[in-house]
Amino acid sequence: MKLLRFPSIAAVSLLLALAATAGASSRPRYGGTVRILLQERFNSLDPLADDDHPAARDRVAALLFDTLTEMDAQGRVHPRLASSWRAEQGDRVWYFNLRLANFQDGTVVTAPDVVASLTRKSQGWTVTALDQQTVRIEVPAAIPYMPELLALRRFSIVKRNSDNTLVGSGPYRLAEWQPGQRVLLSANDDYWGGRPYPDSIEFQMGASLRDQLLERQLGPYSAADLTVDQLRSLEQSNQSLQLSRPSDLLVLLFLHPDLPAAGSRSARKPVDPRVREALSDAINRDAINNVILQKRGTPATGILPQWLTGYEFLLPGGMNLARAKELRAEAAGLVIIHPIALAYDYSDPMAKLVAERIAVDAREAGIVMQPYGEPHVGNSSARAGMDADAVLVRLPLESLQPAVALAAALDDMGLADPASAPLNATRLEDVFELEGKALQDFRVIPIAHVPQAMWLNSTVHNWLESPNGAWSLDQLWTEGGR
Amino acid sequence: MLKTAFQKGLFFALCLSLPLASAQTQAAQTNGQSSLAAVASDFVRQIIARAGPFSAASISFQNISVLPPDLQETVQNAIFTGFRNAGIRIANSDPAPAHVDITFSEDWQGYLWIATVQQNGRKKVVMQKVPRPEHAVAARAPMLTIRKDTVWQQDSPILDFFEDSHTLALLEPDQVSIYSRDSGQWRLRYELGITHTHPWPRDLRGRLQINGLQVTVFLPGTRCNGSMSPPALDCHGSDDPWPVDEGNVVAFYSPRRNFFTGLLSGPSAGASVVPFFSAAAWQTGDTHQWLFSGTDGRTRLYQYDLSAPAAIFNGWGSNMAAVHSSCGSGWQALVSAPNDSVKADQVQAVEVLGREALPVSATIDLAGTVQALWTAGKNSEVVNGVLQSPATGKYEAFTLSVNCSR
Repeated sequence: MKLLRFPSIAAVSLLLALAATAGASSRPRYGGTVRILLQERFNSLDPLADDDHPAARDRVAALLFDTLTEMDAQGRVHPRLASSWRAEQGDRVWYFNLRLANFQDGTVVTAPDVVASLTRKSQGWTVTALDQQTVRIEVPAAIPYMPELLALRRFSIVKRNSDNTLVGSGPYRLAEWQPGQRVLLSANDDYWGGRPYPDSIEFQMGASLRDQLLERQLGPYSAADLTVDQLRSLEQSNQSLQLSRPSDLLVLLFLHPDLPAAGSRSARKPVDPRVREALSDAINRDAINNVILQKRGTPATGILPQWLTGYEFLLPGGMNLARAKELRAEAAGLVIIHPIALAYDYSDPMAKLVAERIAVDAREAGIVMQPYGEPHVGNSSARAGMDADAVLVRLPLESLQPAVALAAALDDMGLADPASAPLNATRLEDVFELEGKALQDFRVIPIAHVPQAMWLNSTVHNWLESPNGAWSLDQLWTEGGR
Repeated sequence: MLKTAFQKGLFFALCLSLPLASAQTQAAQTNGQSSLAAVASDFVRQIIARAGPFSAASISFQNISVLPPDLQETVQNAIFTGFRNAGIRIANSDPAPAHVDITFSEDWQGYLWIATVQQNGRKKVVMQKVPRPEHAVAARAPMLTIRKDTVWQQDSPILDFFEDSHTLALLEPDQVSIYSRDSGQWRLRYELGITHTHPWPRDLRGRLQINGLQVTVFLPGTRCNGSMSPPALDCHGSDDPWPVDEGNVVAFYSPRRNFFTGLLSGPSAGASVVPFFSAAAWQTGDTHQWLFSGTDGRTRLYQYDLSAPAAIFNGWGSNMAAVHSSCGSGWQALVSAPNDSVKADQVQAVEVLGREALPVSATIDLAGTVQALWTAGKNSEVVNGVLQSPATGKYEAFTLSVNCSR
């Protein structure tokens, strides 16, 4: 009798047969700490506040604060804190029924809590609590995609204590918080959706992956976010990488409108629209994508990517240097063309390269651009006081629903116009028309759509991402737990 | 011997399945063409309604999607026909009153057809989303050893189910739904509510036992007893052990987690093994055998008693159930594959010979992630399974059985 002859050939063959097939049946295991390296730093966890890197902040905030609804990777909307909803008066009045859930301080999430949160971010809406479990939202014009809209992080339900601390009802509690440095979250045992599998999640901010790789220190980490220029070397060393669709928008945003807002005290005048158009014609988006983005993104002519809408190709764009020179000459005959100060995120090496490349392209058309690094480019409030004509910003694609995604992007750029809100659009043609309108004065010049990239340790399981790179960590678990 | 039977079965199944697959593919293609042609006619109606009227138009096409050339031609012909049927003359040159530029585009979910209509210096854009026709799935060579039958599909989660010729009972997180057969269809008779004091853990699991009219439900930290007639269900906090299969394994389940603690009850009362997700147990002659899928990712084989594992297997999935059949040794374990819950799952039948585990079937592809596999039937001749489709989000209750007759 052969004792303990394992792994036997048969067992190995079974192992190989099973392992070779892409199945899906490892049940999640509890315990352990998931350690995540983030490249960007943020200084607040408040999903309703401005921050230099709101996209990175929102990824963490999603684990602390619930929204009423959520969108899955297929673009379907699901209940979260709201268990059900209905619309009346042609989508102008919405009713949301809350599930029984607790904040992390043990108090019950009530309709007045939801009203207090939503009121902070919803201008022009009338939000009322009908009873402890029902919220009524009345909007001036129909919003057919209200459930999809309320899945956005900016509509997180946050309880604000008198001492300015924030309490959420999400699957994790805040255990430690060092602004701009580190966040430690611990599992919320009483979460209405069940305790998360990991005991804790630790985020380390501003970590340079290159340094970590050089020092071979990634072992203890579970995941790290990457820039596209870091992908090649990791691919060559057979690391596990996850890449979203090209979803983030790299965009040149001119800060000063042609008609200054009332009370504006900016020393800078708006850049002439002909010069802005000339600049758009001068930019070689293909070169930026091929060289700096290493062909991982797509050249952008629209705010929303082609893969999401199917119509981006209809929006005008593309390089036309001859027309750029003509427009510049036409403008020079009418106005004095000053050098354009272009601010980019000083903590993002890729943004610096893109800004410098744009300046080179602009020079070809006779336009002088002066790129410089700024710490607060991503902060929409800080941009208002910035001594720059334009900023190069990277905006996340916040929704898989085109009307909601466009509304969020315009809001992020400070261009939301209640008179022509994409949220009121009922057809895709209407969204297309509104997007074209937002681009027509060249205050917004799309450059590229960029994917989000993650490195994942093989000990991490069920790290799910939506096509737009949004994390879905509900089923996340790590080896080495209980 | 088993391997030979496996190979012969595979060959026979392949011979049977190839002509069938070809016929299915052709039928699917024909259906896809006709459905796209119908959508094309509707698209023309929309173009005319929103950008018309016009008496004549020049039409151009561009395809920037994955729409294959044969389907593109079908759609283009349907569009031409639609315009002609609406009384619009198709002009070949530009001086036509209107020019319609049609682009077959796509987004991440399907096709998007876009018509840009230029008429009298005005431009109008009309868009139509078009679902991609289902691809004809080439029939995979079934071994005909594992047979899958769909029992029920629904949007809300199913944890376990019971089915006989008269009754279908579904265990859901907050209720037991009882259906009875009516003219060949399952009709909902009533729902028995489940009450619980704590939030359910993630990856919620549960067991449903129906014995005559008696209903017993096992959920983490909760047990419910009741009856189908009169309909009643009473739930209370409980750490009573759960039946893992049809009587061979009874085990305590963690009240706040998704696994069995390892402490056994029933026939093996007092024994303990490592915490496990699933188990398969059977008896051949005098030999008792157990397989436990541990929470550490290892599957342990015990023989005769539970004092020490006889073998440990790596690389198996967490879901496993024993099934009794008329072939091979008479008992197989149906085992899921070992990856994350992001893709469709697979199940394979395994036999234990000595201390070795042999695959005795081809893997079968399931259209989703396995949520549950429980041994069922009077003689353990079927496995009740539940899966969730990643594409639709729907839950499907199904049965698996092993058939050696072909």
